[in-house]
Amino acid sequence: MVEMSTGIKNLVRTLDSVDFLKMDRRTFMKALGAMGAATFLGTYKSEIVSALELAETKLLWIHGSECTGCSESVLNAGNPDLVQALEKLNVNLAYHETLCAQQGIWNDGKLVNTAELNSEILQEEIYKEGNYILVVEGGIPNGPDGSGRYLVIGNKPFKQTLGEAAKNAAAVVAVGACACWGGITNAESDVAKDTDYRGVAFSKTEASKGMLKELGIDKPVINIPGCPAHPDWVLLTLGAVILGKIKIPDDLSAVLDEYNRPKVFFPPDHVVHDNCPRRGYYDRGELDEEIGGPGCLWKLGCKAPYAHADCGIRRWNGSVSMCTQAGGPCIACVEPGFPDSSRPLYVEREDVGVAGTNIDTVAKVAVGAAAVAAGVHAVRRMGKGE
Amino acid sequence: MVNVTVDPLTRIEGHQRISTEVGADGVITDAQSSSLIFRGFERILQNQDPRDAAFLTQRICGVCPLAHGLASTNALDDLYGVAESVPKDALMMRNIFQGLNMVASHATHIYVLFGPDLANPAYKKVLTTLGDTGNAVWNEMVGRFAPISYKMDGAAVPVGSSYLAAIPEKKRLQEAIALIAGRMPGPSSLYPGGYTYPATVGDITKLSTYYLQVMDFVSKHTLKVDFNTWIKNTYQASSPQKAVSFVTEHLTDLYNKTSTSNDFSKDAGWGDVEFYAAFGSELVGEKILGLPASLKHDTIGGYKDPAKICFVSYGGYYKYKDGYDPKSPAGDRIFTSGVVTGKLEYQKFDPEKITESTAHSFYQNSSNDLAPAKGETVPYTDPNKIVYTGGSNSQYSWDKAPRYDGMAGEVGPLARMLNIKEPLVTGLAQAFAENGYSAANVYTRMLARMQETAILAYELLNWVTVDYNPNGKISVPIDLNTAKNNSGMGLWEAPRGALGHWISAGSDGKVTNYQCIVPGSWLMSPRDSKGIPGPLEQSLIGSKINTVGDVDYTNPVGIFHMGRSYDPCISCAVHTIDLTGKNAPNTLRIL
Repeated sequence: MVEMSTGIKNLVRTLDSVDFLKMDRRTFMKALGAMGAATFLGTYKSEIVSALELAETKLLWIHGSECTGCSESVLNAGNPDLVQALEKLNVNLAYHETLCAQQGIWNDGKLVNTAELNSEILQEEIYKEGNYILVVEGGIPNGPDGSGRYLVIGNKPFKQTLGEAAKNAAAVVAVGACACWGGITNAESDVAKDTDYRGVAFSKTEASKGMLKELGIDKPVINIPGCPAHPDWVLLTLGAVILGKIKIPDDLSAVLDEYNRPKVFFPPDHVVHDNCPRRGYYDRGELDEEIGGPGCLWKLGCKAPYAHADCGIRRWNGSVSMCTQAGGPCIACVEPGFPDSSRPLYVEREDVGVAGTNIDTVAKVAVGAAAVAAGVHAVRRMGKGE
Repeated sequence: MVNVTVDPLTRIEGHQRISTEVGADGVITDAQSSSLIFRGFERILQNQDPRDAAFLTQRICGVCPLAHGLASTNALDDLYGVAESVPKDALMMRNIFQGLNMVASHATHIYVLFGPDLANPAYKKVLTTLGDTGNAVWNEMVGRFAPISYKMDGAAVPVGSSYLAAIPEKKRLQEAIALIAGRMPGPSSLYPGGYTYPATVGDITKLSTYYLQVMDFVSKHTLKVDFNTWIKNTYQASSPQKAVSFVTEHLTDLYNKTSTSNDFSKDAGWGDVEFYAAFGSELVGEKILGLPASLKHDTIGGYKDPAKICFVSYGGYYKYKDGYDPKSPAGDRIFTSGVVTGKLEYQKFDPEKITESTAHSFYQNSSNDLAPAKGETVPYTDPNKIVYTGGSNSQYSWDKAPRYDGMAGEVGPLARMLNIKEPLVTGLAQAFAENGYSAANVYTRMLARMQETAILAYELLNWVTVDYNPNGKISVPIDLNTAKNNSGMGLWEAPRGALGHWISAGSDGKVTNYQCIVPGSWLMSPRDSKGIPGPLEQSLIGSKINTVGDVDYTNPVGIFHMGRSYDPCISCAVHTIDLTGKNAPNTLRIL
């Protein structure tokens, strides 16, 4: 358990009765940005365990067409790490293809052995028992010809597996851009129509083309996008669901945005640009045009002004850095339609405003003669968006 | 004869199926390796800004994104004509973040993906019949390597000590990468001409601290003999024989000290490497050390016909000097390019000798063995033809079959260690070959991965604290016009093996062609047009499904070991579909 300062302890106390997914952005930023997942989950755990033992929650984590980057990211969770988080929340990670002891074992076409060693038997048992949280990572091919056979695991199109797993799930969480809206598997190309990749509840920005809808399954889905998803976003959302801090489906319309993203992590009125460590350079109009400098990356195509996420305050990998801090432009990987919505990555975008402000005008003014004044002006104008 | 199929083979990257025919003696007589995904990846780069490639190809694989990012950046350095002038300190930043990623990837493989199979109940069954020694060995195996959420005989098994300790270490390594690359996975710091972030003196200090913390884990769990002593007597040994003698003498000492007490714990000096080095092998453990039992991992996963296999390395890690030659990775890389034959003879690597076959893959024009740049393949769009149960003469994988000079190629740590003539791994390979075993087997493959991890830890310290200069130049500017009608090649080494990216741009400077040849394709490949099986298939055929105890078709732990010993990355293997010519719909190839 991490040491808490008195200030944070007071903050935690005031938060004990609050459902954090329902917090407004300011309160949340103050709270979570400062204290992190460990303290938060730890606090809830001690509160709840003293009153009633936290019932074991089963987690079923399935993998579609993916790079496993989101599981990698969750394995990078620090304070708590993944194992600690599962312990705190009394979670039984019942199945996860990259971590489980089991595998599919077949003799002459029939499943053999038991759920202790056979992943396919284990999954069937989990479906049957129901009452689990389903996490989906990776995109789902509908092709070719609606068969879903561009991904077949354990003799079953993954499309069918998703349907079986979703049917009895108490909650469905899509992790990463691919599971949310198809992500990189759904990018424009001349084979995209054949592969016909989908997210669980969306295809790009279209809710009508999500795979569950295609399968005729009506289940609410929480989207945790990103390429990859930040481990805090995943663990805190799972934490809120497991601890009953967010009721499904009753609370969802209030805590999720139009793309099913929890507003606390992906605030509609806040973009990565707002808390970028290079923001001061932008305000002074110091815009780098070559890599390796300290300045604002706007001219190098940075999409932070269009990315609704708390990366700037949360940072990544134990809060040591973030994309723009290391001199790479933000690629707005949390937005629906990534990567098409962000390409070309290194070219500044000129046609979209930020929270009611035309950033292009602001940037052009900022590089003008009265750079500092314009910068301040820009801040004020950007601020209006809040 | 029983058909024993593992589908899915879990604890790998991506989705893989292994189908085998097994006789009453437990020996595999036929095998097919199938990659189960079709994704259409490189098509998305067509007509796009070439610079996007280093970002987007990282999404081929979330476990080794940096290798794809770097192979791509090498191709872009070449495309923009700046490879010869990339500043040396930028090259060191690339080395450091790739080195850290390779260490993290290997550690993940050893502890999270491969290790849990050592806690398989098949070993309990055999070892617990062998008295106090057997019980002690089993208790160590399950006590160290049991995975998360593991049950045996209805009872929950506590997570293994090494497994549990490895998870925060992996996290720490990724944190070290993020410090200089923004985040991990999916970092943003690669760009042709250099690196986007010059690590500061403060970062160097932090990296050094991370290093000490990771080495603390190594000394507590992985290697109980002093790390520098190990490096000096293995990696820096004057001959392969000396390196092998050092290790066998060290293990003999250990066993002599602890055999009467049957104490094989870490406290008694048995680090995970020492433990596996002794108990994993029949030759080393039983015949040389005289142990009462071993896991016999050296008896499976080998090659029966040396004429059909070779070990390929493209070369990785830059030397500390400005610029590099993208077309000649042998001269200016720390891990050299090269080819070692199945009989352990050394050859120069010649990219012209690579061909590919789609005879057993799900593509319509499955015919000739073409050079990578020439082949065209149309994927099956009829769902009824995507069938995995047709046997060795059918089409059964989304992976193509790359071949080097007509031979299947093993890539990865074992191939790299052989090509640089690393003394310990070379010595072990020779010793196995001389004693009637295959030089490559599950055991040497795993020891090569462990040894490479140690070597990288050693080299990393030099790159961070000696070579890299925080006040050095970090990039040279690129001229986007240079890309017009130009092409680029990036050869590199991913954790899992040889990785190549090729790019071409048209008169508008946009991508017209992007292709990759990746380790997963080599390792997991199906048969080629001559019927020669891929490396995994060759290693399965003739091996037993259980190395110890009775034949158990329902728990073929040998297949699990063999499959996972290659550290399969199926996303890589099948996500590499290149563009063949401009605006050519439905013509794509899997490499």
